[in-house]
Amino acid sequence: MTPSFWQKCLDALEHELSPQQFNTWIRPLQAEVSKDRVCLFAPNRFVMDWVTERFQSRIEELVSAYSDTGTLPVRFEVGSRAQVTNSTPVMTQEPGVSGESPSVSERAKPDYRRSKLQHNYTFKSFVEGKSNQLGRAASMQVAENPGEAYNPLFIYGGVGLGKTHLMHAVGNEILRNRPSAKVLYLHSERFVADMVKALQQNAINEFKRFYRSLDALLIDDIQFFAGKERSQEEFFHTFNALLEGQQQVILTCDRYPKEVNGLEERLKSRFGWGLTVAIQPPELETRVAILNSKALQTGVELPSEVAFFIAKRIRSNIRELEGALRRVVANSHFTGRPITVDFAKEALHDLLALQAKLVTIENIQKTVAEYYKIRVADLLSKRRNRSIARPRQVAMSLAKELTNHSLPEIGDAFGGRDHTTVLHACKKVASLKEEDQRIAEDYANLLRILTT
Amino acid sequence: MSAQLPLGIGLRDGATFDNFFAGPNTEVVVQLERGDEPFLFLWGSSSSGRSHLLQAACQGMSGGGGGAVYLPLSDNVELAPEMLEGLETMALVAVDDLQQVAGDTEWELGLFHLYNRARESGCRIIVAADAPPGALGILLPDLRSRLGWGPVYQLLPLADGDKRTALQLRARRRGMALSDEVANYILQRSPRDLHSLFSMLEHLDRASLAAQRRLTIPFVREQLAVIRS
Repeated sequence: MTPSFWQKCLDALEHELSPQQFNTWIRPLQAEVSKDRVCLFAPNRFVMDWVTERFQSRIEELVSAYSDTGTLPVRFEVGSRAQVTNSTPVMTQEPGVSGESPSVSERAKPDYRRSKLQHNYTFKSFVEGKSNQLGRAASMQVAENPGEAYNPLFIYGGVGLGKTHLMHAVGNEILRNRPSAKVLYLHSERFVADMVKALQQNAINEFKRFYRSLDALLIDDIQFFAGKERSQEEFFHTFNALLEGQQQVILTCDRYPKEVNGLEERLKSRFGWGLTVAIQPPELETRVAILNSKALQTGVELPSEVAFFIAKRIRSNIRELEGALRRVVANSHFTGRPITVDFAKEALHDLLALQAKLVTIENIQKTVAEYYKIRVADLLSKRRNRSIARPRQVAMSLAKELTNHSLPEIGDAFGGRDHTTVLHACKKVASLKEEDQRIAEDYANLLRILTT
Repeated sequence: MSAQLPLGIGLRDGATFDNFFAGPNTEVVVQLERGDEPFLFLWGSSSSGRSHLLQAACQGMSGGGGGAVYLPLSDNVELAPEMLEGLETMALVAVDDLQQVAGDTEWELGLFHLYNRARESGCRIIVAADAPPGALGILLPDLRSRLGWGPVYQLLPLADGDKRTALQLRARRRGMALSDEVANYILQRSPRDLHSLFSMLEHLDRASLAAQRRLTIPFVREQLAVIRS
């Protein structure tokens, strides 16, 4: 049995289904073919149910038709090939940190994969500014003396300001100083999911044992614990046990702990036992420094005036700053052009124009009428004197350029005119733009008004 | 004599990079084909080719290991936020029509968590919508900022000349010869968004097969009249 056997089934399904159906329901399936069966893994129950309900019998037919050995049972499961092959009990698999002592060779090197830490989020790559000075200093102290300096360390602030980066930096530093340390980073959603799974599998004791055995537990975005009472209860006990054992806890949140609705009072008050630090949005100089640092990491030379240009316009958060830089760099790689302010302005044009206006014929008529100080009714009327006809031709031409309406539709919208009139108007405006500077300017102005 | 009916096997245009006329969007196509950005966001009007490109990206994954999934959120009868669970095990998740779920707390949370899990597992996410991330009315700021994590591209509409080329490219792949005159004739008389133009082409393909006639202006004129009636 070769992998091409399943490929043949896929080819047949791709031919029979619409591209959308195939890409949504069949492409995500992973097949494991053995001598006596075919196992199809779906990423979740939703996909599995949908596929079994609608396609199971057809898939079975195809399997029988293409397999060398005739009819083969087809089994559907939730999961993926890799996960199932490495299947291990819930707590060692799920949080990714084994409860066993590491071997000598393992001790030599920190295991970033199991800790779920992003190895590039370090103190070195974290750009310090007024907005995050305190948070950085506290995090460094915690990294030097985990469990002793500030416990818990509670970092809060708006989205995309670097809370997660700081948290990972502490974890990475702890591992650098003590490679055998058991550090785990996870998002609050993952903690909740692990707990639910443990409850379902009757493994809550393993869950507790596992989380309480960590040297440092880093939980991101704890505001998502709000309203999840059972998770809060479990977390409360884990939290207490870790603090008692002088194991480090670091938490991030989008606001000050007392302001999180739906969080138990006892948790809120315990969060204040250690140190609570805020991270503010970075000021201009810090945003420039962040851009320079990110550019350096990707090996790109970013002129300082370009860094200032981007930093002045993208103020919201660092994530979007990074996105903007990536866009400029990608554009420069593609075109081979050097990164200048004009270049950045062009590359980010659509990103900076946040409100993309929807251009309609009505909108064009209104704008053109206002521009030429005439009434929309004039544009739609039969009047043919130049002070009306010219704006009408300009408006028709704009409608052809900015909308997808057919020429007959455009003609209709201008008082029931024929499509040849629209075609004539477009040709006329094109030639007038060449000959008459004023018309060219009017047209450019109107285009700008309508599209920005 | 009755018209011969074409065979029931429809020729599917499919959605690949090969049959996409990039025109002013070449950079986006190159970016998608290269596939080295963990997160991408594309926006443009409904006939700008968003769905085609996302599906082409999924199709492109079939050669190189790992699964891919396409989520057309406009199809909200079929899909539910539970569909997002476990998708980080895929190599690529392509989310289309995000505007359909903007403001829906469950979907927004689901997508936000998917971004976080994808970042850990190395799964790529491409999202497409009809407006840029900041103009979609996303309520969850955590999701909004993640949408702009990677490059954001606007899919630019094609000029009429490019539309003609796209139409002719599509016709050629269907084995039809479409002259400049006939292509211009179609462009001047039917809605000029690519969806409508390609549907028109599909209609003409079937009709010309059934009538055993070539695509000439008189034939297209007849067919346009048939469609209008």
